Amino acid sequence: MHIAVVLKQVPDLVEELDIDSGGKDIDRSFVKMKINEFDDHALEQAVLLKESSGAKVTAVAVAADGIDQVLYAAKARGADRAVKVEAGDEFLDSRRAASAIAEAIKQLECDLVLTGVQAADDLFGQAAPFIAAALGWPHVSVVSGVEAGGSTVRVHQEYSGGRMATLEVDLPAVLGIQAAPQPPRYVPVTKLRQAMASGALETVSAAAGAAPVGATVSGLAKPESGRGAEMLAGSAAEVADKLAALLAERGLVRA
Amino acid sequence: MGNVLVYVEASDGKVAPVTYELLGAARTLAAGLGGQVEALLAGGGELASELGGADTVIHVDHPSLSPYVPEAHVAVLAEAVRLRNPQVVLVGNTTIGIDLAAGAAAATGRPLVSYCVGLEVGEGAVVARSQLYGGKIIATTRTDSPAVFAVVGGSFPDGPGRSGGKGAQETMDPPSSLASLRSRFVGATAPGGEGVDITKAERLVSVGRGIGGPENIELAEELAKALGAEVGASRPVCDSGWLPKTRQVGKSGMSVKPKLYFAVGISGAPEHLEGMRDSELIVAVNSDANAPIFKVAHFGTTCDLFDLLPALTERLKARAG
Amino acid sequence: MPAKTIALAILTAATLSWSGYRFYLLLRPVFHSPWENRFDQIPRRIWGLVTNIGLHARLLKIPYSGLLHLMIFSGFVILLTGIVQAFGEGFIPGFSLAPIGGHTWIALVQDLFDVIVMVGLAMAAFNRYVLRPDRFKGSNERDATIVLLLIFAVVFDMLMQNTFRVASGGDPSASWRPVSSALAALAGLFGLHGAAARPVAEFFYWTHVLAILAFLAYIPTSKHLHIFVGIPNVFFRDLSPKGVLPRADTSKPSIGLKDVEQLGWKQKLDLYACTECGRCQAVCPAHAAGQPLSPKLLIMDLRDALLDEEGIGGHVKHGNGHRELLGGSIQDATLWACTTCRACMEVCPLHIEHVPKIVDMRRQLVELGRMEPKLQDTLASLAQYGNSFNQSERMRARWTKDVGFTIKDARKEPVDVLWFVGDFASYDPRVQRHTQAVARVLHEARVDFGILYESERNSGNDVHRVGEEGLFEMLAQHNVDVLSKCTFKRIMTTDPHSLNALGQEYQSFGARYNVVHYTQLLLELLESGKLKLAGPIGKVATYHDPCYLGRYNNGFDAPREVMKKLMARVHEMGRCRENSFCCGAGGGRIWMDDKGIKERPSENRIKEAVALGDAKYFVVACPKDVVMYTAAVQALGMEDKIEVKDIIELVEMALDPLLVAVG
Repeated sequence: MHIAVVLKQVPDLVEELDIDSGGKDIDRSFVKMKINEFDDHALEQAVLLKESSGAKVTAVAVAADGIDQVLYAAKARGADRAVKVEAGDEFLDSRRAASAIAEAIKQLECDLVLTGVQAADDLFGQAAPFIAAALGWPHVSVVSGVEAGGSTVRVHQEYSGGRMATLEVDLPAVLGIQAAPQPPRYVPVTKLRQAMASGALETVSAAAGAAPVGATVSGLAKPESGRGAEMLAGSAAEVADKLAALLAERGLVRA
Repeated sequence: MGNVLVYVEASDGKVAPVTYELLGAARTLAAGLGGQVEALLAGGGELASELGGADTVIHVDHPSLSPYVPEAHVAVLAEAVRLRNPQVVLVGNTTIGIDLAAGAAAATGRPLVSYCVGLEVGEGAVVARSQLYGGKIIATTRTDSPAVFAVVGGSFPDGPGRSGGKGAQETMDPPSSLASLRSRFVGATAPGGEGVDITKAERLVSVGRGIGGPENIELAEELAKALGAEVGASRPVCDSGWLPKTRQVGKSGMSVKPKLYFAVGISGAPEHLEGMRDSELIVAVNSDANAPIFKVAHFGTTCDLFDLLPALTERLKARAG
Repeated sequence: MPAKTIALAILTAATLSWSGYRFYLLLRPVFHSPWENRFDQIPRRIWGLVTNIGLHARLLKIPYSGLLHLMIFSGFVILLTGIVQAFGEGFIPGFSLAPIGGHTWIALVQDLFDVIVMVGLAMAAFNRYVLRPDRFKGSNERDATIVLLLIFAVVFDMLMQNTFRVASGGDPSASWRPVSSALAALAGLFGLHGAAARPVAEFFYWTHVLAILAFLAYIPTSKHLHIFVGIPNVFFRDLSPKGVLPRADTSKPSIGLKDVEQLGWKQKLDLYACTECGRCQAVCPAHAAGQPLSPKLLIMDLRDALLDEEGIGGHVKHGNGHRELLGGSIQDATLWACTTCRACMEVCPLHIEHVPKIVDMRRQLVELGRMEPKLQDTLASLAQYGNSFNQSERMRARWTKDVGFTIKDARKEPVDVLWFVGDFASYDPRVQRHTQAVARVLHEARVDFGILYESERNSGNDVHRVGEEGLFEMLAQHNVDVLSKCTFKRIMTTDPHSLNALGQEYQSFGARYNVVHYTQLLLELLESGKLKLAGPIGKVATYHDPCYLGRYNNGFDAPREVMKKLMARVHEMGRCRENSFCCGAGGGRIWMDDKGIKERPSENRIKEAVALGDAKYFVVACPKDVVMYTAAVQALGMEDKIEVKDIIELVEMALDPLLVAVG
């Protein structure tokens, strides 16, 4: 089995986000990027499959500022290869990126694609189903747990309410990973350095397809803060007094 | 045409609440576009009678449609879009909707707008408001060609979508691709775990990453004890293994509707808000005054939770005597 | 050649060959080990032998055990003369120690020490079989018993030999052997005198010789190896500054200890030196908390693993040849339990180095990704943001907004005192108020100080001890680079962990700073009159020594001097200064969960303070202590009995006449 795990970076939500002067994108000059946490789980799932069934793992990402670090980290985590996809534009939306990724995956001859179920900036849809559609492969998203089984994989899909289903999917296939069975493993800095010293990243060129016309961003805004909640101010003791009174008023204090 | 097609999500043999929310939104949109509301029911024919909010219920029946297999439902939705050519397709941005919306959009070459929390018709286009970056940014999009919209649960009331349609019923032939699916249903498991069902709890104290670490969860447990509440958690807390998955509130966890929802250190990612926004009373403690949780909370405070929780626990204990 | 000589020669040769062979097997791995330089500072090393071996400095910290050991030990040294005499006689006809006093003072000393050693042995037996201190738990009792019996045999047989020689008559040393003479008189009552006593004396000569040989044969398979290894182990002890943990070479493809054979020669010698006395176990906070770590068992398990690998058994518990070191001989949970508080190393009479071994094994676990999720999250946060709080570096100096004045940016202008704030003091809401108080007090005392704002990173002290060497290097190098562009006279920190990193560890990055703890600076300000107290606070307080301020950096006195000025009375806890009991947060423990802990060290400590009876304030001088002990007091529900105070809170109180009046 040859797994392609598709990675991308998203703005780190630990930081404040600002909107640029054009009003249609966030201000990217000060934004700190980090790996999409669901992609991180997809990578962990891929490495677990490598460990359990000897799959080969190739990390794939559209070339963008800072993506080298992500790909080197993937190598340090256990990816056998790391491939940068030169698509000519680093700010592709997921759908257009998916078309470039699908092109690259054809060149790499993979038979299973894992990527994060979603990302915080997937305004125009999530990558996994679009990659599947571009490749004409079956697809399952919101997956937490994958087991290899010859020409198929068994996947566990989560629904709301904690219900789970097990599905069997013929390879080749694309999976959108919600969570790996274990948290993504930590990469020691020395391992990362070694991965960076072990040679340059591979590069493939793949053009992004055109997006369907029709939907355009007309503006971004920050949500109004605190609308809805009546804010209680004061010291911890004062707020605790207010809350206790409030809960008692509504009969919510344990009798 | 200007029709609005709603994909009907079923769970446990019932129409999922989000479907009524979508039907309600669809009625408004259809009115603005001068079209009709159509509901696509893939499998589960017995539910057709519960879709009074649609003008037409399109029913497709095939053995592969139930139990749910994403590939089959994508094929049916794409086929319906091709045949009926609606202006607007609405899918819940749920765990099922994530499977379907992009797949159907790709198969039909239509644009997709995700994470929608608001939809309206303006100057002949559909204007959508979407939550991006964990709710930190609201994006407004204009879509003037036929498109698919994935709508976050809880964005619209579910009342208006329960009735008001013509209630006509039609059947559609299943697409031929259902005969050669490449994925199969193998089995299902109900939520298991340690016997706690947070969906049944009348009071919940839920913890998010703001609690700092597993060692501090005790603070929330103490408060829960004083309140007679169960302890819930946000997705990151469960993913980090601080609390078991059965405690998870949100789209990928449990949807809860307790009398009291006490959110501790939860910033309020859309996926979380979706699972708890209907709680009767929401109290939120979070250090960031701009956190989205305060938008759905009734009472909020930015007070330090490490001081507040013990103080409140003490007062509640005192009141309980 | 007389038959007796031949018999003795054969026995001696056989024993020496056997022991020699055993010693060869034991020492072989030591000589095939990575090099550690322990040949510097020879005079200091020799002086260490005098205090540690000669004067029993560390052993006497437990007076009863120390005394009994001293009795046995000193006896042994003296009784060596008896051994020389026994073998001398056996091989060289007419051999005698008489020319140097063998019949006079040596005889007297032998006689007296025979008794002293036997009393010591009786005390040891009483300790081991009646008192049974917990520290012996897990030690090899059978071995201890055999050794006690063998020593007894050597001493008793020698006394008997001398007794019956006196009884035989004509012993020239008889008048110098009061004990033997008394016993001989007693034997005489049973008719054992003159010729009748001679064969009995001969019998005890042989049992004495055999006991010595048996002892010699037994030693290399027993913990009593310390008779031979103890002295070199103390001599070759680590003399580098306490706060400097050996670095790992991160240019290697793999770092950390995964096989016991990779230990340096002195580290292996440590394993042989261990006497299983368990003093380390008795002071270990992780062991007290019920976690699966005993420094003693760790050393014993490593020793067994080494012998196992060498295939020379003797101690082998598992006996099936090679086992994995990590997860096999040593469990992961054992290594993660350590707080690196250094209490074990401080009490070990033989200066065994536990902590560096633990950290070196942790390095391998980190490389393998074998750590709990919370630690993993924290390391990821430290790599991403340079702090352990998963927060933006831009938030690091947010606490400065509420202090009411602008704190200098040390990156932009020269300062006298560069304050390295640290993660907990910067980010933890429970500590920020103390951080602000420090700023206010320094401002009031007109100290010219500044901070690094968002350029500061975690000092890396605990990252180093967690075993994430590469990340430690990254953090340290960043701080060193930032500091190199600043102008300052000295660095101050409230966090002892940062103090240790900046003051001691950064030297290996070529950076030497004058680093002081805030307690030191506060003392200077009080003594120079720049801070004027309104008066002492009329309450009793106790003070907790942070490990990295006290044991690691000798900062015992400054906080006490400050306390003396602040408080009406300071009531010390039993475990203070070098014997302070760790709060449980060090060595990265604060980033791990409490799974498996039966009693948190911090709660154990609070109970100790409450038991003083009169202490109202539990005073700390470390941001992590604020967090740990506040939580402990809450968990114990002892808020009404004792209050955790950062020393800076007391300073602010004592500066204010109104607050002083209230107390």
